[in-house]
Amino acid sequence: MILQIFLLAGLVALTILAILLRDLLKAAISLALASIFLAMIFFRMNAPYVGVFEISVVAGLITVLFITTIALTRSPADVKENKLPLIIFPVFFALFIVIDFIVMKNLLSQFPPLPAGTPNSGTFGQVFWNERTFDLVGQIGVIFAGVFAVLALFRTRDKNE
Amino acid sequence: MNSTWFLYLGFSAALLFVGIYCLLTMKNLIKLFIGIEIIAKAISLALVTSGLVRTNIALAQALTITFIVVEVSMVAVALAIIINVYRHTGSLDIGKLTKLKG
Repeated sequence: MILQIFLLAGLVALTILAILLRDLLKAAISLALASIFLAMIFFRMNAPYVGVFEISVVAGLITVLFITTIALTRSPADVKENKLPLIIFPVFFALFIVIDFIVMKNLLSQFPPLPAGTPNSGTFGQVFWNERTFDLVGQIGVIFAGVFAVLALFRTRDKNE
Repeated sequence: MNSTWFLYLGFSAALLFVGIYCLLTMKNLIKLFIGIEIIAKAISLALVTSGLVRTNIALAQALTITFIVVEVSMVAVALAIIINVYRHTGSLDIGKLTKLKG
């Protein structure tokens, strides 16, 4: 329990660091560390496949994409952020945390307990490959859409066009 | 049923708040996208928590993996758009994207 709270608090702290840091590279690395914390939480929640995906895809691939973009868009004139929202952020965040946990503890616990739902209808592999086959078709479609969109965005025009 | 799901949902809501605050207050396009990523993390956590509550973690894992694949596609396209915006305007400031302003 204590380890879970530590991991969750670390996750939130790293995401806050990602938005407060002015250096974009440090912010991207902080986001990758937050992904690793989230993956450890998934492992603790008995969801190892999502944990592996979170580490390999989100902490790995997306961070590489972020860092590449930051390297390609490094400009001498940095974007000037308004400092006021960052200064008052802790106040808003503390207020939200208090309201959040009051609501979660008091209001949600007044709901009648949820029915147990359908228990696990098999292993992860059986659910993923047999029950959610349509999701796989959707995933393939989304990946192709992404590839074509990136190709279209980086298309170099011919001289005749 | 695991009694810690209130905790997971509480922290998921906190992540959502951080992401939305980032989206509302930042001007840098990459920072805005970091905000979207934080919101995506909150959604992943909430999805897996729902599987924990309903004692059907296999289905929650399958759905979360689908969500992560969609997220990666979205990231690739959005970062390509950001690079193109930078090439056109020379800046990552959303305040300078005023060509479509009526």
